[in-house]
Amino acid sequence: MLLGVDVGGTFTDAVLVDAGAVHTAKVPSTPGAEYEGVMAAVAAVLARAGAEPAEVESFAHGMTVGTNALLEERGARTALIATRGFADVLEIGRQDRPDLYRLCAAKPAPLIERQLRFEADERIGPEGVVTPLGEGEPERLAALLAESGVEAVAICLLFSYLDPSHERRLAGYIRETMPDLHVSASHEVLPRFREYERCSTTVIDAYLSPLLGRYLARLAEAAAAAGLPPPRVMQSSGGVAEAADAARAGAWSVLSGPAGGAVGAGLLARAGGERNALGFDMGGTSCDVCVIEDGAVRRTDSRRIGGRTIQLPMVDVHTVGAGGGSIGWRDSGGALRVGPHSAGADPGPACYGRGGTEPTVTDANLVLGHLAGDSRLAGDVALDAEAAATAIDRLAASLGLDRLRTATGIVRVANQEMVRALRVVTVERGLDPRDFALLPFGGAGPMHAAAIAAELGIDSILCPRAGGVLSALGLCASDHRRDTARTVMLSGANFSAERIAAEVEAMIAAAGVDDDRARSELVYELRYAGQSFELPVAGPTRPDPADLAERFARAHEERYGHRDPDGKVVLVDIRLALVAPGHEPRPVAAAVARLDRGSRPVWSGEEWVETPVLRGEPAAGTEAKGPVVFELPEATLVLPAGWNAEVDERGTIDAGFQSHEMRAKGTTT
Amino acid sequence: MSALDPITLQVLIGGLRAACDEMGAALIRSAYSANIKERHDCSTALFDAAGELVMQAEHIPVHLGSMPDAVAAVLGERHEPGLAWILNDPYRGGTHLPDITLISPVFVAGELFGFAASRAHHADVGGPTPGSMPAFSKTLADEGVVIPPTRATAAELEHLAGQMRSPHQRLADLRAQQAANRIGELRLAELAERHGAELLRTGMAEILAYSERRTRAALAALPDGTYRAEDVLEDDSAAGERDVLLRVAATIDGEHLRLDFSGTDAQVEGNLNCPLSVTKSAAFFAVRVLADPDAPPSAGAHRPIEVLAPTGCLLNAEFPAAVAAGNVETSSRVADLVIAALAGARPVPAQGQGTMNNLTLANDEFTYYETLGGGQGACPDADGPNAIHVAMSNTLNTPIEALETEFPLRVRELSLRPGSGGDGAHRGGDGLVREIEALAPMRFTLITERRRHPPRGRGGGEDGAAGRNLLDGELLPSKSEGDLEPGNRLRIETPGGAGII
Repeated sequence: MLLGVDVGGTFTDAVLVDAGAVHTAKVPSTPGAEYEGVMAAVAAVLARAGAEPAEVESFAHGMTVGTNALLEERGARTALIATRGFADVLEIGRQDRPDLYRLCAAKPAPLIERQLRFEADERIGPEGVVTPLGEGEPERLAALLAESGVEAVAICLLFSYLDPSHERRLAGYIRETMPDLHVSASHEVLPRFREYERCSTTVIDAYLSPLLGRYLARLAEAAAAAGLPPPRVMQSSGGVAEAADAARAGAWSVLSGPAGGAVGAGLLARAGGERNALGFDMGGTSCDVCVIEDGAVRRTDSRRIGGRTIQLPMVDVHTVGAGGGSIGWRDSGGALRVGPHSAGADPGPACYGRGGTEPTVTDANLVLGHLAGDSRLAGDVALDAEAAATAIDRLAASLGLDRLRTATGIVRVANQEMVRALRVVTVERGLDPRDFALLPFGGAGPMHAAAIAAELGIDSILCPRAGGVLSALGLCASDHRRDTARTVMLSGANFSAERIAAEVEAMIAAAGVDDDRARSELVYELRYAGQSFELPVAGPTRPDPADLAERFARAHEERYGHRDPDGKVVLVDIRLALVAPGHEPRPVAAAVARLDRGSRPVWSGEEWVETPVLRGEPAAGTEAKGPVVFELPEATLVLPAGWNAEVDERGTIDAGFQSHEMRAKGTTT
Repeated sequence: MSALDPITLQVLIGGLRAACDEMGAALIRSAYSANIKERHDCSTALFDAAGELVMQAEHIPVHLGSMPDAVAAVLGERHEPGLAWILNDPYRGGTHLPDITLISPVFVAGELFGFAASRAHHADVGGPTPGSMPAFSKTLADEGVVIPPTRATAAELEHLAGQMRSPHQRLADLRAQQAANRIGELRLAELAERHGAELLRTGMAEILAYSERRTRAALAALPDGTYRAEDVLEDDSAAGERDVLLRVAATIDGEHLRLDFSGTDAQVEGNLNCPLSVTKSAAFFAVRVLADPDAPPSAGAHRPIEVLAPTGCLLNAEFPAAVAAGNVETSSRVADLVIAALAGARPVPAQGQGTMNNLTLANDEFTYYETLGGGQGACPDADGPNAIHVAMSNTLNTPIEALETEFPLRVRELSLRPGSGGDGAHRGGDGLVREIEALAPMRFTLITERRRHPPRGRGGGEDGAAGRNLLDGELLPSKSEGDLEPGNRLRIETPGGAGII
């Protein structure tokens, strides 16, 4: 049995997979002591499945402990050791202002204030050591750390990706003499060039590790006491790591939560026979999108979280502030806008009847009949259709439109935000969204899927049965994974088969994964000498340089329209992932259809269409033609005319678009 | 109201914005020179068939307000699919010579539909001074190769690059601009296909009208009247320590704003001169900051703003006046000036560093160009941020590990300049310090401002600290050129922002 537990902001979800049967449980999250909620969810799901802890083979955990600590600045008191003259690089960053036209828009304050940014007397340049690390520097700096009472220290010296000797000496001394202090050294966190990005990543690593360490230690204790296997932790990369390893590397699990959803989306896409899918997780306040390409979740190696740069391999999840609670409003030019303000969970949309008066996306969906008036959302709230209509009407009056037109508009503008997010992860990465199926999940995703598919020219939707707990399911399926990368800068005579193979061997040895099922995935990042951005080329452990160069040139031509016949090719980075494949749970559809059939009017954009409604869990083989509404236990899938749906043996609703003429009439409202 | 419903409008704005962003990403990621690939000193935009700027990526403010004049310079030509135009002539659509603009017509169903344009600051465009940002030029010819609007054939690009330093790098950067324009062409054509050319055309017109409405609404909220301000630039490079006076009278009349720069000094012998397009660009920027930072960045926002500057004055210079510093420094002062004038009509920020601190280090082997951040002036409701670009630029810095790998330089210090921000109810941001040691013989050029006249506080807030340029500890004037030998160190301390009370 595979156990996955995902801690969200509101709920903690547990999934137990037992030979295809998927048992789920949802309990309230326990912020501040998340492991309590985790153990409660575990107890609940075991009880529901009638299983014993001893039957659990693997226990994977996804969390937002790191993300929240970073966003809320609740990490450890941390110091920085930088090269003399460069302690402020962390604060100066790349000197750009966050908003072109808001002059005083604040950048997030550095995680380490100036008094805790220390400088080491040393300097390394591109050619090697310029100024040796001063005699007595480790002792002097350790004394400063001891005096300042910090819990963690980040060490980031210039050019340590080329020559880590100074960082190594400092880190070694501090670890030996101050064993309770957490040390993150930049050449260990990720030895890649660009000092600000490396420093920012290393600082986040140091800042989060102590907190994460304490949390995971408590969780491990609780798991052991309950007779469960030791927990593994979802990393931002989309693979799990042993809790002890995760605890030492705080920056690596910042996207632990969304990574579970992305892996879950990948699992469902593969199970549905789709190699390419766009995962689309729409919740109350935001929407996370990701790309499943050739069966695997697409990754990126740098992004900002809360305005702070992390340069590590992560699932390429892009988040926009469009969710069910996003508020519609009229701007000074008379345009209808939606978000980024959200009614949140409290008071929530007007239809929650908790005092919200602003028209939200959920209110619009209710007015349009997408959402049933007797749905139970957000912890079993009865919906107040009148409150929703009143809220929409107020906005309608200011826009000079009628209620339905306004509600349709709110949904369309919100969809546009999500379409933009999906375009960022596809067209901006050179992918054509029409080559992908749309895989909606989260409470609100399936309701918007058909319209978004139409907007992007997508003609296939996969709506998973376990959409409400897909992140936890993804945890059960995650690979055991270790990522590493190294800047090597090989060109000319050094760009040789022997040199590359030697670098790769050293990396594999250093990564030290003692799992004999582990295979290595290698990506070579190349560019022309003179460029600053690389294009990735996958390759074997002993690649032929000429082949790498040719494949790079081809990728360059595809992407930028030309290759440079005189250009010298440089191998900049090698990225290595050691991956021991995870389980591939196969969820199954409900054995017996528990379906109530009915109908209700749904606004098509032009008229009310009396639309069949299937409420409950559809069995495998169930077929339906749009217009139709599936009211699943955790989500509602709305399919306009032109879509044909069939439920597969995993309970996934597999919908295909039939006719383009129908689409023009049916879904592009 | 408008021809288009408010929803379709948002959908089209999203599509055009994504296209511009994607153009910018292609340009940055395929460029060769540090100035584009690391510092992102480039911009991308889409225009309609009438040459009106419909959408642009949020890159460099000084490029954005002036690109319409570049498209206007080729609008009357005969256009063919696949045949782009190139220019940098400041008196025919350009700004200063290093900014090269590439303009590609976009055809839909055989008909001219619009233009995709990209502008990038190239590391060198020839002329006597490596880096083509001389401190002491007196005519345009002293500043590099002047490109009037020309058909950008492959042969022409090679020919142009051949007249500049590092021709291979120039050509590669121009190809990166071609890659950006190609994406713009593709995306615009795709949008036309998806929504229908007619609807997209209507949508583009509506985006212009919508930005205009928003700017008018913001101007209407300000009290009518004429508000004046004056300020100075330091040290016209040809005349030594002499201030150059700039004046503006800003008249708000209902939804309309007139900015009249009459009374500004005549064009100067040095290179602080601006073509009118740069002056307009800076004026539009300042109004946008104060009026409506969120309006879609289209030329519609410029329609309610009239910019007047007498021909032959510093802010509407005539050929063959030198202009290298006008685009970077005078533009910053014009933005300061407009903001200062409008202080009579609404709360405005205190002055920020008001300079880009242009530094060029170069010899025949390399060119390194950098602009340095400094203190932002305090806003009425917030402290000014530290060490950022404050107005017409928003370029990144060059990472030290990239810079030292590519150039014979060693950075000795990059730090904040504590205490340089002015005090007040809200403080100005601190400037920064960058000290660089030469490892080979090279030429340096500094074009800086706010070395003698510090950024001014508002409402009794303290001034920011003036900037300083030092060569091995000796003060240098705001504009300087000279030789460096190995071991010489240049230290630049950028101005702090002023405080506000």
